[in-house]
Amino acid sequence: MKLDAKIPSGPIEKKWDKHRFDLKLVNPNNKRKFDIIVVGSGLAGAGAAASLGELGYNVKVFTMHDSPRRAHSIAAQGGINAAKNYPNDGDSVWRLFHDTVKGGDYRAREANVYRLAQVSNGIIDHCVALGVPFAREYGGLLSNRSFGGAQLMRTFYARGQTGQQLLLGAYSAMMRQVAAGTVKVFPRREMTELVIKNGRARGIIARDLVTGRLESHAGHAVLLCTGGYSNVFYLSTNAATCNVSAAWTAYKKGAGFANPCFTQIHPTCIPRSGDHQSKLTLMSESLRNDGRVWVPKNKGDRRSAGSIPEGERDYFLERRYPAFGNLVPRDIASRAAKTEVDAGKGVGPTGQSVYLDFRDSIARKGEDKIRAEYGNLFDMYHQITDENGYKVPMRIYPAPHYTMGGLWVDYDLMTTVPGLFAMGEANFSDHGANRLGASALMQGLADGFFIIPYTLGGYLAGSKLEAAADSDPEFGRAAGEAEARFRRLLSSKGKKPPSELHRQLGDVMWNECGMARNEASLKRALVKIPEIREEFRENLAVGGGAEELNQTLERAARVEDFIDFAELLVRDALERRESCGGHFREESCTPEGEARRDDAGFSHAAVWEHAGEGKAPLLNKEALEFEHIKPSERSYK
Amino acid sequence: MSDKKFGVTVRAWRQAGPGEKGRMESYKVEGVDPDMSFLEMLDVLNEDLVKRGQSPIAFDSDCREGICGCCGLVVNGDVHGPDEHSTVCQLHMRRFRDGDVITVEPWRVKSFPVLRDLVVDRSSLERIMAAGGYVSVNTGAAPDANSIPVDKDDAEEAMDAAACIGCGACVAACPNGAAMLFTGAKISQLALLPQGKPEKAKRALAMVEAMDAEGFGNCTNEYECEAVCPKEVKVANIARMNREFLLANFLSKR
Amino acid sequence: MDIGFVRRVIFTSIGRKFVMAVTGLALGAFILVHLAGNLLLLKGEAAYDGYVALLLANPLILYAELGLAGLFLLHIATAAWVRWEDWRNAPSGYEERKWQGGRTVGSATMLYTAAVMLAFLVYHIIDFRFGDHSVGFYRMVTDAFRDPVFVSFYVAGALALVLHLSHGMQSSFQTLGLSHPKYTPFIKFGGLLFALAMTGFAMISVYFLLELDHKKVEHHYQVAATEAR
Repeated sequence: MKLDAKIPSGPIEKKWDKHRFDLKLVNPNNKRKFDIIVVGSGLAGAGAAASLGELGYNVKVFTMHDSPRRAHSIAAQGGINAAKNYPNDGDSVWRLFHDTVKGGDYRAREANVYRLAQVSNGIIDHCVALGVPFAREYGGLLSNRSFGGAQLMRTFYARGQTGQQLLLGAYSAMMRQVAAGTVKVFPRREMTELVIKNGRARGIIARDLVTGRLESHAGHAVLLCTGGYSNVFYLSTNAATCNVSAAWTAYKKGAGFANPCFTQIHPTCIPRSGDHQSKLTLMSESLRNDGRVWVPKNKGDRRSAGSIPEGERDYFLERRYPAFGNLVPRDIASRAAKTEVDAGKGVGPTGQSVYLDFRDSIARKGEDKIRAEYGNLFDMYHQITDENGYKVPMRIYPAPHYTMGGLWVDYDLMTTVPGLFAMGEANFSDHGANRLGASALMQGLADGFFIIPYTLGGYLAGSKLEAAADSDPEFGRAAGEAEARFRRLLSSKGKKPPSELHRQLGDVMWNECGMARNEASLKRALVKIPEIREEFRENLAVGGGAEELNQTLERAARVEDFIDFAELLVRDALERRESCGGHFREESCTPEGEARRDDAGFSHAAVWEHAGEGKAPLLNKEALEFEHIKPSERSYK
Repeated sequence: MSDKKFGVTVRAWRQAGPGEKGRMESYKVEGVDPDMSFLEMLDVLNEDLVKRGQSPIAFDSDCREGICGCCGLVVNGDVHGPDEHSTVCQLHMRRFRDGDVITVEPWRVKSFPVLRDLVVDRSSLERIMAAGGYVSVNTGAAPDANSIPVDKDDAEEAMDAAACIGCGACVAACPNGAAMLFTGAKISQLALLPQGKPEKAKRALAMVEAMDAEGFGNCTNEYECEAVCPKEVKVANIARMNREFLLANFLSKR
Repeated sequence: MDIGFVRRVIFTSIGRKFVMAVTGLALGAFILVHLAGNLLLLKGEAAYDGYVALLLANPLILYAELGLAGLFLLHIATAAWVRWEDWRNAPSGYEERKWQGGRTVGSATMLYTAAVMLAFLVYHIIDFRFGDHSVGFYRMVTDAFRDPVFVSFYVAGALALVLHLSHGMQSSFQTLGLSHPKYTPFIKFGGLLFALAMTGFAMISVYFLLELDHKKVEHHYQVAATEAR
């Protein structure tokens, strides 16, 4: 596999400008002759569809939901970063670039991150113009807040629903193009196969989830905007149907998959209450501004929180990280909580949580002030746990939340398959080994609105693309493969529904390859995952037919892909014998137990190549060079 | 925890496909944990049905935190269940007691045909959006975000309207099956913001006509929609839509 | 000449409701004047008949009557259309359905109160407008008010009006888009007061049914007699 990132030459500030000038253009009258297939309708997908439609391309958008507005971007709460420097606190494109590279623990590509910081301001301008009701000051100008340990206020927000408002903005821009006739939305369709013709991505096979029929869609390029794979852990903050299948299909058709082991665990989630749990709910990490995290000092202390005296409480984040205290970055807070729980100090009915206590803040600021700031989060907590966070400490525990790994892309966002692009969380992204808060929304919209309209044009104008039609034999073959797969899944007459096998997989992934990983646990996982695959083959229960709305069948296909993908994730985690960002190898830490990066050995993106069914995947490496921001140790002590 | 577990009977609407005849069917669910969400209880039931070789009850749900707008069920006659202003995915089983019989139905609205069991087709709402639920601005053309100040109160009110998740509960709860709250919220949001003002007349006329074409009912101002809306979108947005529509009709050049 | 805006008034949901609201408010204004006229019954025969004579002397009275009839017909026609559409589009087939507190007795019974009022109106027009005016208007009305059967019909009509307006008044403001966080509470309260004032029709009829006018007259005479002594 040849990995050419195609980073433009020249100084970093000029790379994007230069590249935009160098890219070939498609004549305005020719754009409508190009059919572009967009899979997924989140920020990246809807943004791309809207901006490509505006340019005049003929766009087809596929979403597995009943409406494009359901995409999981909608659930993002906190905000979106931009280097506007409206608060006059010293922000700049350079600083956002710097913070993102450092926050990613020096495992991202500098040129991409710089471009992300550059286009960040345009995103805010465009979203305001689209009617996104961002928070404002009394003077009528936009309000900013600090977020996720940043030392300045660069986060724009719309209450606790920033993702929703941005998605609805991008969605509305796309619906305008639907009315204009340049975009056609195919709802309740799931991509099942990528179609390659003469080495280029030329279309997809999609399953109509209502009728079960397989449809062929040919085009000149395929854009995957299909999100992340946190659901490989079964329990995550992702929506129930989030899956890796589209990216996995692309991987099997030749797209390199980069850094799958880079997964982010979010510290402030509502802990699971039992085996029935289907998903975990995130509470904004802004809660850590006023809540103090603690566990009882004594192991197995079963007393209620209120009856544990001050002297017998261990405020472990404040103790271990006096400088940052409760505000240490996500990965560090998460691991510290795990350490306490593993030591038997966890609280709550399952012992799998730690306290987040607002007692002192309420005493200092008053309950009304706390209610005004976090009322909706306390309500949400109450709705789910039936506990009053104002009276008893909340219980929290980390949960998988975001995945930095994804399909490898070059500077043009193109994967190793020509004509196949990956955007948003689906690509291996600009976040390196750890994403900063409020940066996911920024990246999704940057990719969709501001990068792909240029780079896709460059690809189309610069390639000789022969005709491709739904009736080509390549489509027939791919549809045949998809059909055979569904037939095989349906013919299984076992006893376990796919959800149960998914839960088994999640247990293995969480226990052996979760917040902390070591060689032994990863090797155990590499034994257990094939066992689950075996059980999936032998003992799967699906029922129903292929040509109908069959949610169990959909789930079975997704779980099957997750099982295969999990193995790659674990393999990547095993291969990366360093700790960095969200990936923590217990063998690679300081004497105090903090993560230790190994820049000499692992300053690269690990890009995995499919070598065929049943064969071990091949590892390729894209070396990362840090010209502007020299790697240093992250310390929050 | 296990000592608190209990059993309920679920009476659910079963319908094999669009346009087919449906019926209510009863299922016993044991081992219900009060901390389970209502949809997790349905998950448990469905797993059991699959194990027994029966067809599970199809229902839409995704984020399960009340923001995506996928889920929507009528539980014991309550749209989105008995909890006020929340989606059905936020309903928990502690609301129920051992032995309860729980009736579960889909939105039963002409403009939302049932696709299967509890899954309905809400694409009529998409067509209303496509008629004008946007600001016509191309990517890259926008001025600096702070070049147009917006009255903070207007921005807050626009946000209140924009909170709509498009679940369709307002339609399901309306005595007339009207989509006025949904449509009103979008027209209102964009009419309140200076960015949406240039095309507000065109938008109001087009979206209302699209809404009518989809066969939604009329508004008789009974406000059942506001009472069930999980995001507490207010009927003042319907009034603003009426105002915008009438002003557009009588005073604009269209 | 583009008549698109007229088409929209007739053929869109909000256009029809606009007509309903405007005609409803106009009818509300009429009914208030009607009530004021009826109050003259309490002043006595001379006052009431004088008022009626003044009205009838107006050369525009026929046109006013035709206009009023037009308002009624428009209000009824648009309401019927709206309701017919709602009936076709309303959610149906729920095994169980609970109202969530948006509906009021007034709003849920608009169709029924409308039917009662329509029946009353037809009778009222036949009986009074086209009835026998030879005894004088005051006598015609008060005689009718001494008939318990008529009064119970009349009271039912008035109560239907109260219920109808308890929803209709604020509803028409909402339909016209006249909503404001500061003023809407007053509009709603004012609408209720307006509706309640319509019990005045019922009270006047009951006043005559219980022959309170005679007692008042007798009392008056007694006072006069005492003074004379």
